[in-house]
Amino acid sequence: MSGVTDPRTWSERHNGVKMSVPKAIAGVAAGLALSLGLAACSPGGGTTGKSDAAPSTVSTDIAGAGTVTLKLTDFWGAAEGEWIKNVITGFQTKYPNVTIQRTTEDWGQLNSTLNLQLQDAGGPDIATANNGWQSLGTLAKGNLVRNLDAYAKAYNWDTEVPTTIARQNKFSTDFKTMGSGSWFSTPMARTSLIGLYYNADKLKTLGIDPPQSLAELEAAAVKAKAAGEVPFEYGSLDSSTTVLLGVQALLADKKKLNDYIYDDPSVKAADVGMTEAITLVKKWADAGWFPKSFEGIDYQTAVANYVGGKGVFRWEYTGSLGLSAAQQGHFGYVQLPQQSGSTTVGVGAAPGAMVISSKSAHPDVAAAFLDYMMSPEAGQAAVDKGLVPAMSPDVKVPATSLSLTGESAAAAKLDSDDGYVPYFDWSSPTMLDTIGQNLQLVFAGKLTADKFTAAVDKDRDAFLAQQG
Amino acid sequence: MPAPAQIRPAQAAVVRRRPLRRRTRWVGLAFAALPLAVYALVVLVPLGQSVQYSFFKWDGVSASTWVGFDNYVSFVTDPVLRSTFGHVLVLIGFFALLPIVLGLLSAALLTRAKQPGMAVYRWIFFLPQVMTTVVIALVFKRIYAPDGPLNQALRAVGLDSFAKTWLGDFTWALPALGLIGTWVTFGFCMVLFISGTSAIAPELYEAARMDGAGPVREFFAVTLPGLRGQLAIALTLTITASLRTFDLVWITTHGGPGTSTLTPAVALYKAAFQNPQIGLAAAIGVVMALLCLVIAVVITRVSERD
Repeated sequence: MSGVTDPRTWSERHNGVKMSVPKAIAGVAAGLALSLGLAACSPGGGTTGKSDAAPSTVSTDIAGAGTVTLKLTDFWGAAEGEWIKNVITGFQTKYPNVTIQRTTEDWGQLNSTLNLQLQDAGGPDIATANNGWQSLGTLAKGNLVRNLDAYAKAYNWDTEVPTTIARQNKFSTDFKTMGSGSWFSTPMARTSLIGLYYNADKLKTLGIDPPQSLAELEAAAVKAKAAGEVPFEYGSLDSSTTVLLGVQALLADKKKLNDYIYDDPSVKAADVGMTEAITLVKKWADAGWFPKSFEGIDYQTAVANYVGGKGVFRWEYTGSLGLSAAQQGHFGYVQLPQQSGSTTVGVGAAPGAMVISSKSAHPDVAAAFLDYMMSPEAGQAAVDKGLVPAMSPDVKVPATSLSLTGESAAAAKLDSDDGYVPYFDWSSPTMLDTIGQNLQLVFAGKLTADKFTAAVDKDRDAFLAQQG
Repeated sequence: MPAPAQIRPAQAAVVRRRPLRRRTRWVGLAFAALPLAVYALVVLVPLGQSVQYSFFKWDGVSASTWVGFDNYVSFVTDPVLRSTFGHVLVLIGFFALLPIVLGLLSAALLTRAKQPGMAVYRWIFFLPQVMTTVVIALVFKRIYAPDGPLNQALRAVGLDSFAKTWLGDFTWALPALGLIGTWVTFGFCMVLFISGTSAIAPELYEAARMDGAGPVREFFAVTLPGLRGQLAIALTLTITASLRTFDLVWITTHGGPGTSTLTPAVALYKAAFQNPQIGLAAAIGVVMALLCLVIAVVITRVSERD
């Protein structure tokens, strides 16, 4: 620290000039006024032009499209990155006239900059967006991504994709409703589910068969607890909600839950099993079925603990445990059927919503690639990389992978039962924060189950009100 | 002609000085023009845009709607957003007041008697200041973990009942975060004050001692007034830092449990980058900027007053 003996005041030393405060404020105000004058129009008016109507004539003749180079930006690394590379190779082998240049970005980075990238004429032709209002809805509303209805018709997506998955990619063209209307993105021959993982070795030691129902799961948890094991590995420090949403899918009515998330104001959170689900999860917490001090355990630590052999069960997104090929033989996966009835309903969506930029010069070729991403070839490519396939009933899963066998069976069952429900946080942009924060309040005994459900409704209703 | 010759020196001086003064002013401005333009482009224009955005409801992409002061009103009326001010006040206690008190105390102790190896202490205490906050946050996340070193230490000495899930506890999460800030800024304040005291004329201390002042009296009569400038710097930097607290909270608790550690900066980030509410985010940013400005101005004014 130099200049300590300097007799001038701090502001004099640092500014060089002694400027009076009113003068300084006047200067700042003048600067503000100037810059306001420079940007007089209201923000966000820049994206004009193209209408929402889908192009009337589309071509599915890709081989005859001439030499085409497409730019793809995605957020996939590791096994997912290898999968998309193989899918691209497969497509380029099928159509040698097409070259796909792939760029990959970190998920958070791509999510926060995709709207800017799509406004750039040199931006990607195809990109992975995130479903729901925050990302896909905003992009569709802002005319940054194409309406894909004409392609859906050309490629029969409406009949080939399970309705509960198709809905996840649709918005009404007035952008007031999600889950119906026009296609703005496509899924792929992969899925990401929330379900129950079990440690197969521990179940064997405990003499328990993998549970096939919620009642069997609770009985297994009692047994595990009595044997000194932690029934569910879980930590709530960073508001992990998988356990709540996984349980809710077992208790809620499929149609009502879908409608709630797609913002049908007549359905309330109490109608979709929210109170029952939070009550059950709280009961598990109070029964000591979660690790000691789970409030202080963060998500990464909980995952590492579980894979490292702590805990018997874990509610988790498929693909998030990062199991190695060897570990896949020791962990199993089940998609429990609903508590009442025999159908299976599970939280699941494609791990990304594929969009075509409005600025793309080759939408026909881009759409053909999206269609290829939903093909059984892409599904088999997924299995080959240890990823969960979807819409590919005939895939060959290596028998050595217990977890992938369970995950593939779950996806096939959800495909045939048309039993998907979207992630609950699609219902409003702030929903993930709301359920995460209030879940922590419930665990701390500061909020009742009823109040939790009311908070969920309040969040969504506030969003619906401002949607108009 | 004798007369002009007589007045020439004065006239020449006048003639020469005026264009020079004018020229230097324009040359100065010309030199400053580029930096000023850059400053306007990267600071003033975004600042003005933020102010402008704060009056709109905007998702960042599609058309925006003018909402007047609604975003500011909801910042003040929304109980969760309002609570972030309270959290910042707590953080100011831990980030600004506590480190300054500790810094003054240790500076007073360390400068009274020259100890061997004092530079090493200074270096150790200053170390957190040069570390990236992300690293610090990750280290403390580990320290505060349920089976982390802090709880292990408490259990080792039989204080089991004091062991807690520090960052997951509604009561303790905010103070636990605050103490990280104390640890980080304490060394900075101490080094600042030590260099300040070393610049105080030794005659003042001698005079105080001759007048019979003890260490305490000496501190309040000589050291503290001599450190007014350093105090102003420390207060300004630490208070604005606590207002801006983001990375520490984001990495450790994400604002949880519940919303008990949510700060305005975290709320801003969530509004701008997670939920498309650019207008609200801009309003939060403008309020924070104004608060920082007011605090800086007030502290400077007070410290300059004789």
